[in-house]
Order: sequence, then C-alpha cells, then structure tokens
Amino acid sequence: MRVPFEKRTLANGLDVIVHNDHRVPLVAVSVWYHVGSGNEQPGKTGFAHLFEHLMFEGSEHHRRSYFEPLQNAGGTLNGSTSADRTDYWEVVPAEAVRLALWMEADRMGWLLPALTPENFETQRGVVLNERRQNYENKPYGLAQFTLARALFPEGHPYSWPTIGETADVLAASIDDVRGFFARYYHPANASLVIAGDITSAAAFEMAEELFGAIPAGPAVGPVSSPAVEAKAREVVMHDRVDLGRLYMAWASPALFADGDAELDLAGDLLANGRTSRLYRRLVHDRRVATELAASQSSRELVSTFQIVATAAPGQSLQTLRAAIVEEIERLRHAGPDEAELERGRAQAEAAFIYRVQSLGGTGGKADQLNAYNVYQGRPDGFDADLSRYLNATPASVRDTLAQWIDPDRATVLSVLPGDRDQPAGA
Amino acid sequence: MATDRFVLPAPGPPATVAFPPVTRTSLPNGLAVWSVAHASVPVVSCALVLNRGTAGDPPDRPGLASVVASLAIESAGDRDSIALADALARIGAHLDVQPAADVTVVSVQTLRRHLPAALDLLADIVRRPQFTAGDFARVRELRLSRLRQASRVASTVADRALIAGVYGDHPYGHGALGTSRAVAEMTIDEVRAWWSQAWSPAGATFVAAGDVDARTIEREVARAFAGWEAAAEPEATPLSHDAAAPRLLVVHRPGAAQAEVRVGQPGPPRATPDYHALVTLNALLGGQFTSRINRNLREQRAITYGARSAFDMRRAGGLFSCDAGVQSDAAAVAAAEILREFGDVSVPGAVSAEELTRAQAALTRGYVRHFETAGHLARALVDLATYRLPDDTFDRFVPRVSALTAGDVSEAAARTLRPGACTIVVVTDLDRHRAALDALEREIEVISVEF
Repeated sequence: MRVPFEKRTLANGLDVIVHNDHRVPLVAVSVWYHVGSGNEQPGKTGFAHLFEHLMFEGSEHHRRSYFEPLQNAGGTLNGSTSADRTDYWEVVPAEAVRLALWMEADRMGWLLPALTPENFETQRGVVLNERRQNYENKPYGLAQFTLARALFPEGHPYSWPTIGETADVLAASIDDVRGFFARYYHPANASLVIAGDITSAAAFEMAEELFGAIPAGPAVGPVSSPAVEAKAREVVMHDRVDLGRLYMAWASPALFADGDAELDLAGDLLANGRTSRLYRRLVHDRRVATELAASQSSRELVSTFQIVATAAPGQSLQTLRAAIVEEIERLRHAGPDEAELERGRAQAEAAFIYRVQSLGGTGGKADQLNAYNVYQGRPDGFDADLSRYLNATPASVRDTLAQWIDPDRATVLSVLPGDRDQPAGA
Repeated sequence: MATDRFVLPAPGPPATVAFPPVTRTSLPNGLAVWSVAHASVPVVSCALVLNRGTAGDPPDRPGLASVVASLAIESAGDRDSIALADALARIGAHLDVQPAADVTVVSVQTLRRHLPAALDLLADIVRRPQFTAGDFARVRELRLSRLRQASRVASTVADRALIAGVYGDHPYGHGALGTSRAVAEMTIDEVRAWWSQAWSPAGATFVAAGDVDARTIEREVARAFAGWEAAAEPEATPLSHDAAAPRLLVVHRPGAAQAEVRVGQPGPPRATPDYHALVTLNALLGGQFTSRINRNLREQRAITYGARSAFDMRRAGGLFSCDAGVQSDAAAVAAAEILREFGDVSVPGAVSAEELTRAQAALTRGYVRHFETAGHLARALVDLATYRLPDDTFDRFVPRVSALTAGDVSEAAARTLRPGACTIVVVTDLDRHRAALDALEREIEVISVEF
C-alpha cells in the first residue's frame, strides 16, 4: 500500500512532507510537535494539553481566535494531545491552504507575544470544565487515571493523566507556560504535512516562505523514564455505577517494538467483538459479562496492554477475572489457531485500506504520514507497519504473551458500585 | 506580487463543486437502488434505508425497533451469531445498524473485492434473521444492562429528559433504546411481527458509493435482494405539535461534578422552506466554535468546555436545542444566556451583514468537505432517501445559502425560535445547587427519567 509523498527538511529543522491527491479540492494540514504530557514534570502536569488550548487563542499577527478565519474560509480545525505528541490540524478548501499554513507558522514562531493573562485564565477555566465533562462527571471516568497511577512507578511520565492533575492546572503560571513553549514548540521539534489538492512545488514554496524564518530552538532529547516492574498490584475503587468493571493492565512492548503488533492482534482475538474468545465465553455463552474490550495502547516509552470487562447484574468480578486469566493462560501456552489469526490479519489489512480514505483530521492520511515521520523518521511506514500484522504467527503471538502478559503480575483495578471514593473535582 | 509576510492571507475564490451523478434504478419488489462512483481507494460503502424507525414503535413498546435491529444482526441465514460475525470479520467488512426516528439504516463498508460476499451477508441479516430464543434472551439482557448504565450518564439523562419534555407523547418523544419496562415485556412474536412489517422493500432504498460502477451494484443488489417480498408501507408519522409551555425540568444527581444543561423546543421538519435560512441561522447562533453561544459561554465566561445548538429536522417535525455541560454554579446563567441568545438573534436587524457573510462563507466554502470519501457520499444518499429530497438538493445548497439576506435569517429565526416556550433541562446535584437555579424564575419540576 502506497501513500506517495515528498519530504524536505528546512534549514531550521522543520520536516515538510507533501502528498498530492487531486480527487477533491481540499487540502489537509497537519503539524505534529514531538511533545506530550510525558515531557511534563510531577507537580506541573497538564501543560501540553493546556498549551493546546492556548494555541487557538491568537498569535502576534493575528491576536484573536484561530477558529474564526479558518471556519469562515470553510475549513475545520482541531488539535489533540497525548502522552507522546501534540497535533494540530486543518482541513480547508484548496483556495485557503495558504491561510492555514500562515496561521500554523504564526503560532509556531510568534505565539508568546499574544499570550495574555486573560486568555490564560479563560483557557484554564475551559480545561477544568473539560476535565469535569469528560472524566469527573462520567461513570468510570476516573478509572483510567487510577489505573495509570497504579501501573507506573511514581514519577513515570505515563503515571499522570494528559489532561493534568486539577491542582497542577490551578497552580500553573503563565511563566511556566512560556518556558514550556520555548523548549518544545519550534521547527526542530515539529513535522508538517500538506496533503491534498496542491502541487508539491507550491506546497514547498509556501512552507519555506512561511516557516523558513522561524528559529530552530533547542534540541529535544528523548524522555527518560524509570523501568516498570512487572508485578501484581491490586486496586479497588467505588463509583456511582450500577455494574462492576474489572481492568487488568500490563506494561508491554513500546510502539513498533517487537511484540507490539502481536499484542494488538491478541487483544482482538481475546476480547474485541463477537468472535473473540472472551466474548463468546462470558457474554454469549455464560452471560456473566455485558461488555468486553482489549487494547494495546502503543506509546513511545512503553505501551499498555489492557483488558476491560463489565459484569452482568448480580455477577462478581471474580468470575470474570477467573475466565480472563484462563483464556490468557491458554493463549500463552498454545497460542491462537491459525484460522483465528488469519481473521485478525484480514481485519488489519482492511483497516489499513479504510484508513487512507480521508485526507486529514485525526487518523487521516496527513496524520498518519506525520506519525510515521515523528516516531520512525520516515513518513512511508505504511507497508512496514502492515507487514508486522501480516507476518505475525501463532508462535509469535504465543511467545509475546508468554513474555509480557503474565496474569500473576497484572495490575488489577476493580470498580465497584458505591459512592465515589474521592469527591469529584478534588 | 510581493505580499506582507505578517498580514493574514485571504482565501482565494471558491471552487465550484458539483455532487457526483447518482445512478438510479429499482427492483420489481420496489427496492430503489442508487449509486455514486467514487474512484479512490478500493472500498464500497453501502446502506439499506428501511422505511420505518423508532417513531414506529408501538406506544407501549418504546425500543422495539431498536431491539429488532440488534437481533437481526445476531443469527441470520444459516449462520449463528458467532459465525455471522466471523464471516464479516474474515472479509474485513464493517457492519452497522442504526435505528433512527424515521428509518432504520443497515450499512456495510467493504473492500471492493468482497462486495458480493458482503451483500450476501447483508441480505441474510435483512431477509433471513433467525430470531432465536437464545439470541433474544441474551440481547434483551444486554439491553437492560445498557439502559441501567445509560441512566448513570448525565448527558444521556439530560437528552432523554429533553425529548420527553419537548415532544411529550408524540412518536419522537422517546429514545431509541426504549425503557426497561417495555424491553422486559417484549416478546419474540412482537419482534417478528415488527420486522415483517418494517423490514420490507416497500419504500426502502439501497445506496452505494465507492470504487465500483453502477451496473455492478445493480447486478449484485438484484442478486441479493430479488424475491424479497414487500409488506404494506407504514402510515406516516403525524406532525409534531407546537411549542409547549415553558418548563424547568431538573434531574437530581447526587455528587454530580458539573451540570448538564439543555434548552430546547419543537422545530420544523426537514422539508421546511426555511431550511437554508435555518442552517445559516444555526451556524452563526450556535452550530460552530465561533458561534454566538459558544463565544459567550466558553470563550468569554469560561463556564463550559463547549456549547452547541442544532436543528434535528425529521420527516414530521423536529427539535431545536442547545446543549452544554457547565460548572454547577453556572447552570442558570448558561440557560438564561442561551435563551437570551435565541431571543436576540430573532430581532429585526440583529444579524449584521458581516456576521451573515461569515456564516455563509463557512457553510458554502466548506460544503465540499462533506463529500470527501465514499462514506460521506453514502451518508448523503441516505439523507436523500430518508427525507425524500429532490435530486438537486446538494447542488442547490451553495446558491441558496449565498442568496440569503440578513433579513431572511432573522425572519426565519422569528418564525421558528420560541425562547419563551423552551423547555429547560438541568441535571445537577440539586441539594448543593438548588439556589443557583432560582435566577431562572421558573418553577422547578424535579423529575425522574425513565430508563
């Protein structure tokens, strides 16, 4: 599978990647900064995400909302923050590509002069409301935070939530934020994709003109992190829910490391969808669970493999846990059937094709080119990525599980119905 | 030409975009077959639009249409539930079934090379569901659990309270999932009866978009759906009634971390002649990040992560509503400001030429974004089929919106918005935040929402 592109690196270190697709008069712009909540320090969490908000509030030569000019040009835009990276994107009619690139350049090079205490306070309030809406006011909404704190040692970059601890967001100062920007938000720590109805010559010319004068900024080294010890950990929390939910989690091979794709496949055949072993057993046959999911959340430092099961009314989490452990043990010893794995490969191949339908936005072609470029140094990772799935064997899945997913050394969180242990918003 | 590097560039003149031609035919049993070619990735997006949805639920069986939909994708043809899911997974096809108010949509996305196999499976689901007792018992239990879970989600509680408050006992007044009471009482015979009436080629449309030609689609659909017998077409849903008396419905949620606020009223059907004026109105009032309401509540007051308004226009009426999750102490302010914005925009002269131009530009320049992928085009065809819209609907949009005047928009607002009669819903910790609601000067009706 090919997504053709050209890549050049500007003198200031900015990678520029262009992909032509003239089917529809649209252009997608994606900017990745290689900074996420993993670059933060304990006590100063939530900066990368708070920053994402401030990046839409104006820059030196456009001191107002970023949404207005782009929406009025028929574009759509957003950004997102993870532990490893932050992305900003626009999808615009082809005639507005210069506008989108101009705005990305202005906030990359000239953000701080427009950063006012008023904007800062407003966005702090918005972020705290976002935290309430998406986590605190949702059933099970705080479970992932609790699980990460239990799984990762204190001070590990993945031990705190990307949206930040409320106390840290409240304590953040505008000077802290300025320092964070200077260190991480510059061309040498960024990657730009321009994809769609545009010629390569025009795209590179605009990129050079608009981004070329921005100073490179200091080199950003890899994040260091303490090792995650594989051992048993048990956590119980209560929440205002009707049904208990069990989370079992393990530290697992990092993004693109050996075993990463195998665990993605293993998650599907264990607990995703009606064909999975645990769904058949717990939901279809015994009817003791209502929901099941497994995921390999791939990240740069270390990934997390996780199985989540929600009990049926009147069923104990212990019943679910015993079945999950048994199925993991079976896979660790016998591996999957070839027919099971064949199904997983077919799904992976189809998913790769479905994924290259959209130009932009989260998960579109521009986003994927940036992901491969930022994490692997080359945008053309599609085939190599897919071949990891197509080359997985029953033996490689079995061995990966045997090495990493030991039921006796899992971090287990039980969420039980009751009153929430901590007052919401604390 | 030299340009100043530091001046915001204006976009160039917009490109003219035409919706791709739709090829239409029909089978002898009445099933319409529409397709659009979209050559990019070897993928085809298909959907079968069945002419009955949740508004067709019997009054004492809210949720029946949706239980039928859930059960049809279990065992079907000669496969049991697991084998059916396995067959779909082995070709990488994605199946989805959506019970909407006016229609039920069964869709499948497939690689082009697996189109015949995907349509065989789709035909099994639609024509030959098994409705076994075992599947029924399991699906019903899962539905009851899901309803219990949903009753704990504040935004879902608020949405359900709003539609019940606005529509009352109209067929649009209940959620697709139904209620535990109705689901517990349902029988497999009711499921079969509803399916045999509603899942029929009469009034149904099959749509496809993707890297495939119309003849192939027609041939494959004819192969899979020939001989499917039609039932009688259902009766049309009666028009929803006009705005009710103003109410303040409060759901007490102990320990809630924030308040969910809804402000809503009955709205016009999709066929309204005001369609383009109202879409433009919503763009400047509450439909976008830069709209009046979000600027007010998020960017000026910082009391919410976001506030959005929307027209949900259906065959027989609709809903106009605004929703926001807000700080608990600001629930009344949020509701009052939303009502004030509804009122302000309806006053003659309220919409400036500049504001109108911005909203028009956002809608018209951005229109092409809705037709980027095969999935987008298939959804557009589903809309045409659901609301029985004219063939040139998408090509008329840009000229119609561009021709609107500020007067057209505020007159449409005045005809449509009834801030004095809107229903307000607040889901909050009433013990802690009752005082915060006093400012609304409406009688608080504490309600419980049935799930």
